Amino acid sequence: MNRRLARLLMSLYPRRWRERYGAEFEALLETGRGDLRTSINVVGAALREHIVPTPGRKMDQLPCSFGTIMKQPSAYLPVAMSLTALAMVLGYIAKYGAVHETDEGAVAHLWQLLMAGQMPIVAFFAIKWLPRAPRQTLYVLAQQFGAALASMAAVFFFNLG
Amino acid sequence: MRSTRNVVGAGAGAGMGHYSDPPLLVLASLADGPKHGHAMIEDIALLCGTRLGPGTLYGAIARLEQQGWIEPLPPEERRQPYRITVAGLRVLRAKLTTLQQFSRAGLERLEAL
Repeated sequence: MNRRLARLLMSLYPRRWRERYGAEFEALLETGRGDLRTSINVVGAALREHIVPTPGRKMDQLPCSFGTIMKQPSAYLPVAMSLTALAMVLGYIAKYGAVHETDEGAVAHLWQLLMAGQMPIVAFFAIKWLPRAPRQTLYVLAQQFGAALASMAAVFFFNLG
Repeated sequence: MRSTRNVVGAGAGAGMGHYSDPPLLVLASLADGPKHGHAMIEDIALLCGTRLGPGTLYGAIARLEQQGWIEPLPPEERRQPYRITVAGLRVLRAKLTTLQQFSRAGLERLEAL
Protein backbone atom coordinates (compact mmCIF):
# COMPACT_ATOMS: atom_id res chain seq x y z
CA MET A 1 0.00 0.00 0.00
CA ASN A 2 1.34 3.42 -0.82
CA ARG A 3 2.35 5.73 2.00
CA ARG A 4 -0.27 8.38 1.31
CA LEU A 5 -3.18 5.90 1.47
CA ALA A 6 -1.70 4.28 4.59
CA ARG A 7 -1.48 7.67 6.29
CA LEU A 8 -5.01 8.58 5.24
CA LEU A 9 -6.43 5.32 6.62
CA MET A 10 -4.47 5.66 9.82
CA SER A 11 -5.80 9.19 10.30
CA LEU A 12 -9.32 7.75 10.60
CA TYR A 13 -8.51 6.37 14.05
CA PRO A 14 -9.04 8.39 17.23
CA ARG A 15 -6.09 10.56 18.26
CA ARG A 16 -5.22 8.63 21.42
CA TRP A 17 -5.18 5.34 19.46
CA ARG A 18 -2.91 6.90 16.82
CA GLU A 19 -0.54 8.22 19.47
CA ARG A 20 0.00 4.70 20.76
CA TYR A 21 -0.23 2.51 17.64
CA GLY A 22 -0.09 4.94 14.72
CA ALA A 23 3.56 4.55 13.66
CA GLU A 24 3.67 0.76 13.76
CA PHE A 25 0.20 0.44 12.19
CA GLU A 26 1.19 2.72 9.33
CA ALA A 27 4.34 0.63 8.79
CA LEU A 28 2.21 -2.52 8.68
CA LEU A 29 -0.17 -0.96 6.16
CA GLU A 30 2.72 0.10 3.93
CA THR A 31 4.14 -3.42 3.83
CA GLY A 32 0.76 -5.05 3.22
CA ARG A 33 -1.73 -5.23 0.37
CA GLY A 34 -3.32 -2.02 -0.85
CA ASP A 35 -6.54 -3.55 -2.14
CA LEU A 36 -10.09 -2.37 -1.52
CA ARG A 37 -10.84 -5.16 0.95
CA THR A 38 -7.94 -4.10 3.16
CA SER A 39 -9.07 -0.47 3.05
CA ILE A 40 -12.63 -1.46 3.99
CA ASN A 41 -11.28 -3.55 6.84
CA VAL A 42 -9.25 -0.61 8.20
CA VAL A 43 -12.14 1.86 7.82
CA GLY A 44 -14.44 -0.54 9.68
CA ALA A 45 -11.90 -1.07 12.46
CA ALA A 46 -11.34 2.71 12.80
CA LEU A 47 -15.08 3.30 13.01
CA ARG A 48 -15.38 0.62 15.64
CA GLU A 49 -12.57 2.24 17.62
CA HIS A 50 -14.56 5.49 17.64
CA ILE A 51 -17.74 3.78 18.79
CA VAL A 52 -16.27 1.19 21.15
CA PRO A 53 -12.83 2.50 22.15
CA THR A 54 -10.20 0.10 23.40
CA PRO A 55 -10.44 0.17 27.19
CA GLY A 56 -7.35 0.27 29.36
CA ARG A 57 -5.11 2.33 31.54
CA LYS A 58 -2.89 3.64 28.75
CA MET A 59 -5.74 4.68 26.49
CA ASP A 60 -8.33 5.89 29.01
CA GLN A 61 -6.81 9.20 29.86
CA LEU A 62 -9.25 11.48 28.03
CA PRO A 63 -11.00 13.82 30.43
CA CYS A 64 -14.69 12.94 30.52
CA SER A 65 -16.14 15.87 32.43
CA PHE A 66 -19.66 17.13 31.76
CA GLY A 67 -18.17 20.20 30.02
CA THR A 68 -15.98 18.10 27.74
CA ILE A 69 -18.90 15.92 26.70
CA MET A 70 -21.22 18.90 26.24
CA LYS A 71 -18.72 20.38 23.75
CA GLN A 72 -19.24 17.41 21.42
CA PRO A 73 -21.40 18.37 18.41
CA SER A 74 -23.54 15.29 18.96
CA ALA A 75 -24.32 16.59 22.48
CA TYR A 76 -25.26 20.19 21.76
CA LEU A 77 -26.72 19.87 18.25
CA PRO A 78 -29.93 18.06 19.33
CA VAL A 79 -30.51 20.66 22.07
CA ALA A 80 -29.93 23.47 19.56
CA MET A 81 -32.30 21.80 17.07
CA SER A 82 -35.04 21.47 19.70
CA LEU A 83 -34.60 25.06 20.85
CA THR A 84 -34.70 26.27 17.25
CA ALA A 85 -37.91 24.29 16.71
CA LEU A 86 -39.36 25.79 19.91
CA ALA A 87 -38.37 29.31 18.82
CA MET A 88 -40.05 28.75 15.47
CA VAL A 89 -43.28 27.64 17.13
CA LEU A 90 -43.27 30.60 19.52
CA GLY A 91 -42.42 32.98 16.66
CA TYR A 92 -45.30 31.58 14.62
CA ILE A 93 -47.71 32.01 17.53
CA ALA A 94 -46.48 35.56 18.17
CA LYS A 95 -47.04 36.48 14.53
CA TYR A 96 -50.25 34.63 13.63
CA GLY A 97 -51.67 33.55 16.99
CA ALA A 98 -52.45 29.99 18.06
CA VAL A 99 -54.45 29.12 14.97
CA HIS A 100 -54.77 25.46 14.05
CA GLU A 101 -54.64 24.98 10.29
CA THR A 102 -55.45 21.72 8.51
CA ASP A 103 -52.83 22.39 5.83
CA GLU A 104 -49.29 22.10 7.23
CA GLY A 105 -47.16 25.13 6.45
CA ALA A 106 -43.41 25.55 6.06
CA VAL A 107 -42.92 26.09 9.79
CA ALA A 108 -44.61 22.79 10.59
CA HIS A 109 -42.43 20.95 8.07
CA LEU A 110 -39.27 22.54 9.42
CA TRP A 111 -40.32 21.67 12.96
CA GLN A 112 -40.80 18.03 11.96
CA LEU A 113 -37.43 17.95 10.19
CA LEU A 114 -35.63 19.42 13.19
CA MET A 115 -37.25 17.01 15.63
CA ALA A 116 -36.82 13.90 13.48
CA GLY A 117 -33.33 14.87 12.31
CA GLN A 118 -31.94 14.92 15.82
CA MET A 119 -32.86 11.29 16.55
CA PRO A 120 -29.87 9.69 14.78
CA ILE A 121 -27.58 12.28 16.38
CA VAL A 122 -28.90 11.44 19.85
CA ALA A 123 -28.50 7.73 19.12
CA PHE A 124 -24.90 8.26 17.95
CA PHE A 125 -24.15 10.34 21.04
CA ALA A 126 -25.57 7.70 23.39
CA ILE A 127 -23.72 4.83 21.70
CA LYS A 128 -20.43 6.70 21.71
CA TRP A 129 -20.46 8.24 25.17
CA LEU A 130 -22.53 5.98 27.44
CA PRO A 131 -19.77 3.34 27.73
CA ARG A 132 -17.11 6.00 28.45
CA ALA A 133 -18.87 8.28 30.91
CA PRO A 134 -22.33 6.95 31.78
CA ARG A 135 -23.32 9.54 34.42
CA GLN A 136 -22.30 12.63 32.44
CA THR A 137 -23.86 11.21 29.29
CA LEU A 138 -27.16 10.63 31.09
CA TYR A 139 -27.17 14.29 32.20
CA VAL A 140 -26.69 15.39 28.57
CA LEU A 141 -29.34 12.96 27.35
CA ALA A 142 -31.72 14.39 29.95
CA GLN A 143 -31.02 17.88 28.60
CA GLN A 144 -31.63 16.72 25.04
CA PHE A 145 -34.85 15.03 26.13
CA GLY A 146 -35.96 18.11 28.09
CA ALA A 147 -35.37 20.43 25.13
CA ALA A 148 -37.28 18.10 22.80
CA LEU A 149 -40.11 17.84 25.32
CA ALA A 150 -40.32 21.65 25.61
CA SER A 151 -40.58 21.98 21.86
CA MET A 152 -43.30 19.32 21.63
CA ALA A 153 -45.16 20.71 24.65
CA ALA A 154 -45.51 24.09 22.94
CA VAL A 155 -47.07 22.45 19.89
CA PHE A 156 -49.55 20.44 21.96
CA PHE A 157 -50.24 23.25 24.45
CA PHE A 158 -51.28 25.62 21.66
CA ASN A 159 -53.05 22.78 19.86
CA LEU A 160 -51.02 23.18 16.66
CA GLY A 161 -50.45 19.48 16.07
CA MET B 1 -12.31 -12.01 24.92
CA ARG B 2 -14.25 -10.49 22.08
CA SER B 3 -14.79 -12.12 18.68
CA THR B 4 -14.46 -9.82 15.68
CA ARG B 5 -15.94 -10.60 12.33
CA ASN B 6 -13.78 -8.28 10.24
CA VAL B 7 -11.67 -10.97 8.66
CA VAL B 8 -10.19 -10.48 5.24
CA GLY B 9 -9.92 -13.22 2.65
CA ALA B 10 -12.02 -15.99 4.03
CA GLY B 11 -12.34 -17.30 0.48
CA ALA B 12 -14.91 -19.81 -0.74
CA GLY B 13 -17.37 -20.86 1.91
CA ALA B 14 -16.65 -17.75 3.91
CA GLY B 15 -17.57 -18.11 7.54
CA MET B 16 -17.42 -21.92 7.46
CA GLY B 17 -14.25 -23.76 8.35
CA HIS B 18 -12.33 -20.59 9.26
CA TYR B 19 -11.90 -19.77 12.91
CA SER B 20 -12.31 -16.06 13.55
CA ASP B 21 -11.61 -14.99 17.10
CA PRO B 22 -8.80 -12.50 16.39
CA PRO B 23 -7.53 -12.08 19.99
CA LEU B 24 -7.27 -15.84 20.43
CA LEU B 25 -5.57 -16.19 17.04
CA VAL B 26 -3.01 -13.52 17.98
CA LEU B 27 -2.29 -15.23 21.30
CA ALA B 28 -1.89 -18.58 19.55
CA SER B 29 0.43 -17.03 17.00
CA LEU B 30 2.63 -15.50 19.69
CA ALA B 31 2.74 -18.76 21.65
CA ASP B 32 5.78 -19.96 19.66
CA GLY B 33 7.71 -16.71 19.92
CA PRO B 34 7.54 -12.91 19.44
CA LYS B 35 6.30 -11.58 16.11
CA HIS B 36 5.45 -8.26 14.47
CA GLY B 37 2.14 -7.54 12.74
CA HIS B 38 2.92 -8.80 9.25
CA ALA B 39 4.48 -12.02 10.59
CA MET B 40 1.37 -12.59 12.73
CA ILE B 41 -0.93 -12.23 9.70
CA GLU B 42 1.10 -14.79 7.74
CA ASP B 43 1.41 -17.16 10.71
CA ILE B 44 -2.32 -17.05 11.46
CA ALA B 45 -3.10 -17.70 7.79
CA LEU B 46 -0.88 -20.82 7.97
CA LEU B 47 -2.28 -21.83 11.34
CA CYS B 48 -5.97 -21.86 10.50
CA GLY B 49 -6.56 -20.41 7.04
CA THR B 50 -7.91 -17.11 8.36
CA ARG B 51 -6.24 -14.01 6.95
CA LEU B 52 -6.79 -11.14 9.36
CA GLY B 53 -7.10 -7.64 7.94
CA PRO B 54 -4.70 -5.08 9.43
CA GLY B 55 -7.53 -3.23 11.16
CA THR B 56 -8.80 -6.42 12.77
CA LEU B 57 -5.29 -7.46 13.77
CA TYR B 58 -4.48 -4.17 15.47
CA GLY B 59 -7.91 -4.06 17.13
CA ALA B 60 -6.98 -7.38 18.74
CA ILE B 61 -3.39 -6.33 19.53
CA ALA B 62 -4.56 -3.13 21.25
CA ARG B 63 -7.09 -4.96 23.41
CA LEU B 64 -4.67 -7.76 24.30
CA GLU B 65 -1.97 -5.28 25.26
CA GLN B 66 -4.35 -3.24 27.40
CA GLN B 67 -5.37 -6.46 29.17
CA GLY B 68 -1.73 -7.29 29.80
CA TRP B 69 -1.85 -10.52 27.78
CA ILE B 70 0.80 -9.41 25.29
CA GLU B 71 3.57 -6.82 25.55
CA PRO B 72 5.68 -4.88 23.05
CA LEU B 73 9.38 -5.56 22.63
CA PRO B 74 11.95 -2.96 21.45
CA PRO B 75 11.02 -1.96 17.86
CA GLU B 76 12.96 -3.34 14.88
CA GLU B 77 13.22 -0.38 12.50
CA ARG B 78 9.56 0.58 12.04
CA ARG B 79 8.20 -2.82 12.96
CA GLN B 80 6.90 -3.47 16.44
CA PRO B 81 7.25 -7.02 17.71
CA TYR B 82 5.05 -8.35 20.51
CA ARG B 83 5.36 -11.30 22.84
CA ILE B 84 2.84 -13.16 24.92
CA THR B 85 2.95 -12.61 28.69
CA VAL B 86 2.57 -15.23 31.43
CA ALA B 87 -1.01 -14.06 31.97
CA GLY B 88 -1.58 -14.34 28.21
CA LEU B 89 -0.29 -17.92 28.19
CA ARG B 90 -2.65 -18.77 31.03
CA VAL B 91 -5.62 -17.28 29.14
CA LEU B 92 -4.62 -19.03 25.92
CA ARG B 93 -4.35 -22.39 27.69
CA ALA B 94 -7.75 -21.92 29.34
CA LYS B 95 -9.42 -20.86 26.10
CA LEU B 96 -7.93 -23.72 24.09
CA THR B 97 -8.90 -26.23 26.77
CA THR B 98 -12.48 -24.96 26.64
CA LEU B 99 -12.44 -25.17 22.85
CA GLN B 100 -11.02 -28.68 23.00
CA GLN B 101 -13.80 -29.80 25.38
CA PHE B 102 -16.37 -28.08 23.21
CA SER B 103 -15.13 -29.65 19.98
CA ARG B 104 -14.86 -33.08 21.59
CA ALA B 105 -18.44 -32.88 22.85
CA GLY B 106 -19.64 -31.58 19.48
CA LEU B 107 -17.88 -34.33 17.56
CA GLU B 108 -19.28 -36.98 19.91
CA ARG B 109 -22.76 -35.71 19.16
CA LEU B 110 -22.05 -35.87 15.44
CA GLU B 111 -20.76 -39.44 15.84
CA ALA B 112 -24.01 -40.38 17.52
CA LEU B 113 -26.08 -39.25 14.52
